[in-house]
Amino acid sequence: MRALMIAATGMSAQQMRVEVISNNLANMNTTGYNARRADFVDLLYQQETRAGTISASDGSVVPAGVQLGLGVRPAAVSMNVAQGSLSQTGGDLDVAIEGRGYLEVTLPSGLPAYTRDGSLNRTGDGLIVTSEGFAVAPGITVPDDARNISINAQGEVFAYFNDRVEPEQLGQFSLVNFSNDRGLEAMGSNMFIETAASGPAILGDPGEDGLGTLRQGYLEDSSVDAVREITDLIEAQRGYELNAKVITAADQMLGATTQIR
Amino acid sequence: MDNSLFTTLTRQSGLMREMQTVANNIANLSTTGFRAEGVIFAEYVAELEGVNGGGLSMANASGRLVQMRQGELDPTGGSFDFAIEGDGFFLLQTPDGDNLTRAGSFMPGATGELVNPDGYMLLDAGGAPIFVPPDAQSISLARDGTLSADGRPVALLGLWQPVDQSDLAHRDGVRFAVAGEMEPVLDATILQGFLENSNVDPVSQIARMIEVQRAYEMGQGFLEREDERVRGFLRTVGAQV
Repeated sequence: MRALMIAATGMSAQQMRVEVISNNLANMNTTGYNARRADFVDLLYQQETRAGTISASDGSVVPAGVQLGLGVRPAAVSMNVAQGSLSQTGGDLDVAIEGRGYLEVTLPSGLPAYTRDGSLNRTGDGLIVTSEGFAVAPGITVPDDARNISINAQGEVFAYFNDRVEPEQLGQFSLVNFSNDRGLEAMGSNMFIETAASGPAILGDPGEDGLGTLRQGYLEDSSVDAVREITDLIEAQRGYELNAKVITAADQMLGATTQIR
Repeated sequence: MDNSLFTTLTRQSGLMREMQTVANNIANLSTTGFRAEGVIFAEYVAELEGVNGGGLSMANASGRLVQMRQGELDPTGGSFDFAIEGDGFFLLQTPDGDNLTRAGSFMPGATGELVNPDGYMLLDAGGAPIFVPPDAQSISLARDGTLSADGRPVALLGLWQPVDQSDLAHRDGVRFAVAGEMEPVLDATILQGFLENSNVDPVSQIARMIEVQRAYEMGQGFLEREDERVRGFLRTVGAQV
């Protein structure tokens, strides 16, 4: 009986929704995390009686027909690309992106990855890397004797020295933009890689071509809204129970059928 | 078999179909823009031989009804999440012709064209695809459907509806195919940052499910008693011989 299968698709959809919600809640304090949402669409329909078929010899047609749906399927887990609030950390290598754009990171394989997590560090050689240890493009090295460094809104990095008054410009962070941020593939550790759906990376300087600006001493919080996630969780749980009820009812109908003889 | 058994059978198979519709509605409880469906039963009269002016009346699940009640609006904050308040549908370009949908979850594709999660292009009021500049910082949508990127209008979103309201055939992916003509809707508003939830009302669906289940059991009880009656008749007649 198909009602059993249909309710089962509904249960697995609600279960997937709970999984997405639990991942969001687990990442409530992840720097630069964007909340995800599971989008569902209905499955195909069986045409029992096609609308428009002739129902009588005088040419009258069936106006609506009978179509039976076969359940639900997940269409996308889309990222809600929203600016998270900025929290002040005071770290000289903490940068938050205000507005659109991603920092480009070079993976050990040489491929680029993209991140909004601006909690940067220095290696022993002074190279600026992410907290995972991957170099941030274009590869800026801070000299050992630098007293302190400052990063301005355009991403320019300056080093101050004890024996000089004028700061030295070490380089400029570039930002990368995509026509479809939601099409990026998340690869964990707050990083994304380019896909055919995201479109090619559009490189630019912070503050230009629609890109955001950098802010030193701040980190971008996770954009997860706990209240929203909890209400969604309640909805998903009730949806799961309702689908389970349908399974019970369909099972009892089948039971009644087998009891006749 | 007896005619009374046939009559009950048509009723039972109709109820099975309705159960499937209820199950589909409940499975799509959280499908954006989903419209609940109902089954319409109609009387089907079969002529009987030797009976003047009478026939055998059967219940046939012959039609369906798409409920058009507005679903609740869910604030998502997404700049490409659109919800329709009032009548009308968005127009999508699909391989099997233009389809209608109420699910307003769109995103820009690789070249900046607005697509739905299945990758079908959203069409504007003139029936052309909508392109959003990739470097746009802010996207805003006026209630009349004017889409602007950084304050410059880029497209006018159109809403459509079939001329004949019942001319909506469900397609997978929360789409509707229209066989006849479509007309633009002028008085509806489009909201940005919202998605319209499924309009399935769980309470009425569960109530309908219980009703269907009980009616089905009643039909089975009838079949059982009818079976006993025939059996009793055979036993009695058999004993006479």
